[in-house]
Amino acid sequence: MRIVVPIKQVPETRSVKMDEKTGTVIRDGVESIVNPLDLYSIEAALILKERFGGEIIAISMGPPQAATALKEALAMGIDQAILVSDRAFAGSDTWGTAYVLGEAIKTIGDYDLIICGERATDGDTGQVGPEVAAHLKLPVTTYVNGVNDWTDGALTVTRLVEHGEEKVSMQLPGVLTVVKEVSDPRLPTLDGKIRARETIMPILSFDDLKLDLKLIGLKGSPTRVVKIFRPKVTRECEIHTAEDEAGVALSVERLYNFLQEREVV
Amino acid sequence: MLKETRYSYNELTLELVQNLKAIVGEQYVIYDDVERLEQFSHDETPGDYVSMPAAAIRPRTAEEIAAIIKLANRENIPITPRGAGSGLSGGAVPIYGGLVLSVDRMNSILEVDRDNMMIEVEPGVVANDINEHIEPFNLFYAGYPMSLETCFIGGNVAENAGGGKAVKYGVTSRYVLGLEVVTPTGEIIELGGKLVKDVTGYNMVQLMVGSEGTLGIFTKIILKLLPLPKIQADLLCLFKTSDDAISAVPKIMTGGGVIPTSIEFMDSHSVQAACEYLNESLPYEDCGAMLLISVDGMDRDVIEEQYITIGKFCQEAGAIEVYVADNPSTSERIWKVRRNIAEAFSLIEKRQFNDDIVVPPASIPAAIAKLEEISAKYQVQIPCFGHAGDGNIHARVLCRKDWDDKKWAAMQPVILKDMYQMIREQGGRLSGEHGVGCKRKKYLNQVVSEEYINMLRTVKRAFDPNNILNPGKIFDV
Repeated sequence: MRIVVPIKQVPETRSVKMDEKTGTVIRDGVESIVNPLDLYSIEAALILKERFGGEIIAISMGPPQAATALKEALAMGIDQAILVSDRAFAGSDTWGTAYVLGEAIKTIGDYDLIICGERATDGDTGQVGPEVAAHLKLPVTTYVNGVNDWTDGALTVTRLVEHGEEKVSMQLPGVLTVVKEVSDPRLPTLDGKIRARETIMPILSFDDLKLDLKLIGLKGSPTRVVKIFRPKVTRECEIHTAEDEAGVALSVERLYNFLQEREVV
Repeated sequence: MLKETRYSYNELTLELVQNLKAIVGEQYVIYDDVERLEQFSHDETPGDYVSMPAAAIRPRTAEEIAAIIKLANRENIPITPRGAGSGLSGGAVPIYGGLVLSVDRMNSILEVDRDNMMIEVEPGVVANDINEHIEPFNLFYAGYPMSLETCFIGGNVAENAGGGKAVKYGVTSRYVLGLEVVTPTGEIIELGGKLVKDVTGYNMVQLMVGSEGTLGIFTKIILKLLPLPKIQADLLCLFKTSDDAISAVPKIMTGGGVIPTSIEFMDSHSVQAACEYLNESLPYEDCGAMLLISVDGMDRDVIEEQYITIGKFCQEAGAIEVYVADNPSTSERIWKVRRNIAEAFSLIEKRQFNDDIVVPPASIPAAIAKLEEISAKYQVQIPCFGHAGDGNIHARVLCRKDWDDKKWAAMQPVILKDMYQMIREQGGRLSGEHGVGCKRKKYLNQVVSEEYINMLRTVKRAFDPNNILNPGKIFDV
């Protein structure tokens, strides 16, 4: 099985601070890490490789520093890594990004599966995975929490839906986005780190991919970030006071109904 | 309960309580209130190390403390100083009742002296707050006790706390340059200062460090700071056996030309308990022990070279896998396992005692092997974890399920005797960083000479003629 894992480098959330005046994230001196939710797609790919054999290629679009994230993926056991980097890509929204990633994935040749994390912890959109599928005209299954089998070119997976799980069979090649439940990510190893250090990573630029300038960057992005702000927390409390024994029963009933309406009990 | 009666003191009368209130203010004296006094009756030592004080007092200044101590000397009332109460030797337990003196209100960071790279703090500052405060200046205080999020710097100095970074950075004493101390007779004295070199008389600062609250109460502390290391990387090395893991430690220390920040040892019991507690999926099933090794510095490439060197040493020593964490999130994932071992064991078996043995670093393999023998001899679990790189191991002896409380009480001294016999043979001591307190007092003469204890007694008598300050700790006068 040949698997492509697109990953993103994000700022380490504990150290992220916001500039309240401009509404932008202060990136100076902030450590960058692999998007925590991409660790699960890497892990899912590694488990599939252990079961079915094959090769895993990680790919990341970002500034040259994103190579660090790819090296971490290599240290976890990914076979190859490709960095997609060019100043022309700056400002691309999820649609623009998915176009660039899709075109970059085309250069890899034949592959069976693309596995993405559910979303990135910085942008938090969860759009890039399905959009890559759209660009490549591939089927996509989102919120996958388990991969069951791969027979006759079809992959059976389970995905989380609102009221339980759904079992899906998808013809490959196709795209998955996985959630945390898929498996706990392994730690990078020393041998992996040494291999990552010695690996020469190909960098694909705008020219290499022969892209359409109208479809990337700010110009190619149908969406705009208008403003970033802290949401106001508006929690409303309901307080029931029991005056006597009968009041206790009434309060308990109200609490029970409250929880039942929200499907907690 | 653990009340001692060797020395006699006077009862704290209502009139004296009024006098104390006049010194610090009414609301800062807790008296005749069992519920609120309970917190001052113990520290974090597992077991029955509990004794109620007659009152607790929370002064704000050195002058107030001096007045309290003078009063206590005049009226013959014992005083037990207290930091955050996170100690593990019963040092802050008022075993003669009397007055507990808490420094929790004295919690100001007085000055960050960037020109001298020093900081002046009050004793009630939480250890971790120091580093949070000075990080923007690219400065760093090297103390790293496992309780750093709660413990006070005053307690760290009183116990000469060690912790996870001692292999490279040493223990608290290395960083204490100056102290303002209220003596056991109520004088306020400055010792040392902002000086890197100072031979003006005896080294009284270092006598105070680790004195466990028996020689004075610190009211100001001057600490040496270091440039903040920007880069850290951690290796989590899995070994088949405890022996493989621990034998690798001396090789790492001497062979690679790199001094790690820390080398933490965790046997399989410890790792398993912590992983289950945290729901962490590290592949610990096939491994008999782990080493957690950290390196830190200023340059990413240098750090990479260093951890590769050390990691290869571990592989040569038989490590079945070496994991690398070189960013804050992965690093936190593996350190969390180490920091939660104690908590995890507290849930597994309440009846346990925790020893803090220390031997010369090179004797660590022999000490661990001997502990395994003791564990087999008495059929008790002794999970071992701790700061292997500096020779300090926390051996936690868990009570056997088939022993009742009486049997457990009878067996503890028997098992301890074997452990201390081993320590003596290895040239070690009873405590590397938790202190003697009241917990290890009766075992002190098993590992040090009577002449040595007599020397300590002479010092104590000279400082505290009325035996007012923290009586019954470390040794009996």
